[in-house]
Amino acid sequence: MRRVVVTGLGLITPVGNDVASTWESLIAGRSGLGLVSRFDASAYDHPIAAEVKNFNIAEVVDSKLARKIDLSSGFALAASHQALADARLDMTQEDTSRVGVLLGTGMGSAHLIIEQQQILDEKGPRRVSPFLVSHMLPDTATGLVAIATGARGPNFAVTAACATGGAATGEAAEMVARGDADVMIAGGYEAPLQPIYYAGFNAMKALAEHEDPTKALRPFDSTRNGFILGEGAGVLILEELEHAKARGARIYAEWRAAGTSNDAYDMFAAAEDGHGIAQAMRLAMSRGGIEPTDIQYINAHGTSTPLNDRVETRAIREVFGEAADDLMVSSTKSMHAHMMGAAGAVEAAVIALVCHHGIVPPTINYTNPDPDCDLDYVPNEARQAEVRMAMSTSVGLGGHNSAIIFSKWEDA
Amino acid sequence: MPELQERRVVVTGIGILSAVGAGRDLTWTNLLAGKSGIVNTTLVEVEDLPSRVSGQVPDFDLSTYIDRKGARRMDRFTHLAVCAAGEALDHSGLDVASEGDQIGCMIGSGIGGIGTLEAEFDVFFHKGPNRVSPLLVPMFIPDMAAGQTSIRFGLRGPNYNTVSACASGADAIGTAYEVIRRGDAVAMVAGGSEACVTRMSIAAFANSQALSKNNDPLTASRPFDLDRDGFVIGEGAGILILEDREHAEARGAEIYAEVISYGQSADAFHVTAPSENGEGAARAMNMALRKADIAASDIDYVNAHGTSTPLNDKYETMSIKTVFGEGAYAVPVSSSKSMIGHTLGAAGGIESAITILSIVNQKIHGTIHLQTPDPDCDLDYVSDGPRDLPIKYAMSNSLGFGGHNSSLIFGKYEG
Repeated sequence: MRRVVVTGLGLITPVGNDVASTWESLIAGRSGLGLVSRFDASAYDHPIAAEVKNFNIAEVVDSKLARKIDLSSGFALAASHQALADARLDMTQEDTSRVGVLLGTGMGSAHLIIEQQQILDEKGPRRVSPFLVSHMLPDTATGLVAIATGARGPNFAVTAACATGGAATGEAAEMVARGDADVMIAGGYEAPLQPIYYAGFNAMKALAEHEDPTKALRPFDSTRNGFILGEGAGVLILEELEHAKARGARIYAEWRAAGTSNDAYDMFAAAEDGHGIAQAMRLAMSRGGIEPTDIQYINAHGTSTPLNDRVETRAIREVFGEAADDLMVSSTKSMHAHMMGAAGAVEAAVIALVCHHGIVPPTINYTNPDPDCDLDYVPNEARQAEVRMAMSTSVGLGGHNSAIIFSKWEDA
Repeated sequence: MPELQERRVVVTGIGILSAVGAGRDLTWTNLLAGKSGIVNTTLVEVEDLPSRVSGQVPDFDLSTYIDRKGARRMDRFTHLAVCAAGEALDHSGLDVASEGDQIGCMIGSGIGGIGTLEAEFDVFFHKGPNRVSPLLVPMFIPDMAAGQTSIRFGLRGPNYNTVSACASGADAIGTAYEVIRRGDAVAMVAGGSEACVTRMSIAAFANSQALSKNNDPLTASRPFDLDRDGFVIGEGAGILILEDREHAEARGAEIYAEVISYGQSADAFHVTAPSENGEGAARAMNMALRKADIAASDIDYVNAHGTSTPLNDKYETMSIKTVFGEGAYAVPVSSSKSMIGHTLGAAGGIESAITILSIVNQKIHGTIHLQTPDPDCDLDYVSDGPRDLPIKYAMSNSLGFGGHNSSLIFGKYEG
C-alpha cells in the first residue's frame, strides 16, 4: 500500500469562504446560522439555516457557464480551485491521467431540477433546458472539475446521504493508495437550501427550533432539539507521499484509514445501539492497525438531534472503552450546521487542520450536560492540544456510516 | 499500515430486471432470441413529449421482496434495485443472516428517485410546502437503492452509491470489487438501478438531443447503424453478488465468473460530447488491461456501451481500435441496448450481468436493428444474431455524460 497525504484544502462554508476564514471562525466558536434568506420561508415558524455568505458564482467560472450550472456545482468548483491552489499543484507539470476527481453530494443539482420542473409544468416539455441533463446529475460537478482542471484520472461521484463526504474522501484515498491515481481531488458539496427540499426536511420534524438562530444547534447538550441545514463544499487534495515529497509539497496530515457500513435498520433513524457507526469506526481502525489510545480527537457527526448525539456517544464508548474518557470529541456542526453531502468532507478537512495546527475547535452552545452524552465535548472554547491522530465520523439517512482517520504528519 | 493480501473476486449471483424480462433467465433468453423490449411508453403520459418509446420493465411482482408498507416508502428505482438484489442473493445462497457484517452493498444510479421528486413538486405548488412528504428526500436521494437493499436484506458492510451518469452501475461494481480486494468485505451486492421513464427525464434527455426522434419502437434503438439518431431511454436494474474467491470456494458456491479488472477515467473535455477519437474511453480500457496484466488480444468479447447516438457509437468504435489495434476487427462487439434501451445508471450493472452470462454460456447475443452499415462503424457488431463463442475474458464498457469512462473485465472461472 502506498502512503497518502493531504497537501491542499478548499472550503466554502457558512462560517467562511476559504480555509483561513473558516478555520478562524471555528476556533473562535462563531456560529454561521441565521434566518433563511435564500427563499421566502414565511410559511415556517423557525426558518433557520446556515447559508454561505457573499458567494458569487461568476468569480469562479465564466459568465456563460455560470448561467448554466447549479449552485452546488459552483461550490464544488470554487472549493476545488482553492484546494489545487493551496496544494500548489501545477497541472501543466502533471501527468493529468494520474490526477482524478471524486466528489460526493447527497442530492446533486437541487436548484436546477426544480427550476426546470416548474418550466415543464407551466410551459411544457419542449421548453425544458437542453443543458439540464448535463448539469442536473450528482456527478455533474466531478465532470466540471475535471474539465476545469484537466484532471483525466478516475472520476465519479459518491452518494451516501449525510455520510457522503466521508465515504467519498475515503474511497479517493484508497484509489491513491492502490495506485489508480497519484493525486485525487476529493470531497463533498451540497446546496440543499431550496424551498421544496426544505419543505421535505421540515416535514421530517427533525429541524431545530430556537428564537435565536445562533443558539439553534446545541450538540450533546440536554436541550438539543434538531439539526439545521447548511451548505457549501469541502475539498482535499490527496496525494501519494513520494509524489508530494518530490515536488516539495506542504503536508497537512497523513491519511491512515477509512471505513463505511450500513445499520441495515431503518431509512430514517440510526439504530439505538449504535452498531452501524461503531462498525465503520472499527473497520477503519482495524484497516489502519490503530488502537483506541492512538486517537486523541474525534470530529463527531454531532447533528444536535436527540437520537444522533446519544447513539454516537454510545458507539464511541463501545469502540474506545476506557480510552473514551481521554478523547476530545467536538461537533463543528454546532457552527457550520449540517452541510449534508459536504459535511463529511468539511469535517475531514477540519481533522487535517487539527492535526496540523494542534488546536481543537469547540462544540458551541454547550451548557446543559445530558447524562446520555458524557464525553469531553470541548465545550465552547477551542483547546490547544497535540493531536497525533484524529477521526471524523458521519452518519446518514438510509443507514450509511463512515469514519476516516488522519494523523499528524511526521516524516518517518 | 499493515500489508494487505490481495484477494481474488468472483461472481456468485446475478439479478436482472430489464425491458426484455423481469428476471435473469428471461432476460438472457430474450436477448439471445433478439427480441426487442422497446415499446410505446405507458408508465407516464407521453402525448406531448418528443420521445414516446422506451424500454419498460414488464410487470414484476414486488411482493416477493418488498412488503406493501415498504413499497410505499421507496421510489421505483429502489423497487427495481431491491428486487434484482433479491434475485441475485437467492442465486448466491449467501448466509446473510450470519455474515451480514461482512457483506456490503453498492448500487449506482444516475438520477435516483426523479419520479418521486416530480410528484412532490406538484404537491408543493398545488397544496403548499406544509403538505410535502417527509419521504421526499429519503425517496429521492440516489443512495437509497443501496440503503434500502441493505435494510431489507441485513447487509451491514461497506455501503454507498456511485454516480457517474451512464457509467454509474459499472463504477459501483468496480468499486465493490476493490472493496473486497482490499479486504473490507467478504461479499458485496453491487450493480446499478434506474427508473428514468418519467416525464422530466424524457423531456430533459430529448431536449439535449440525446434521444432518438424515431417513435417506432421496432427501429428506434439501432446501435452502429448508419441511420441511428439517438438512444431510447430504458429502465431496469442489474445486480451482481461479488465475493472473495476463497470464501465462495469454501462454502461450495456456484461461481459464474471471476472479476479480473476495473479501469476508470475522465475525458476532462466536455459535459456531453465524448472526447476526440474516444481518447478517454480508450484510457479506461487500457487501465483495466494494465491492472490485470493482460493484452487486448486476450479479450474475446466486448459488450459495448453502444447507445445508438451518432457520436457515441462512432467514438466508441475508434476507442476500441485504439486499444485493440488490428485485432479490433477480430473481436465481436455487441450492444445490449439495441434490445433493452439505454438504462443510464443501471446500464453498467445490467450489461456486466449480461457479459457474465455470455461467459457462463460461451455464447453472445447480437446487436439488433443493424441494417445499414456505417463506414465509421466497421467492427464485428454481431448483427447476424447470437453466436457460440469460446470466451476466456470479456469486457463491458460504460461511458457517461460528464466524460466518465469505465471498463470492467470478467473472466471464465476455471476452478
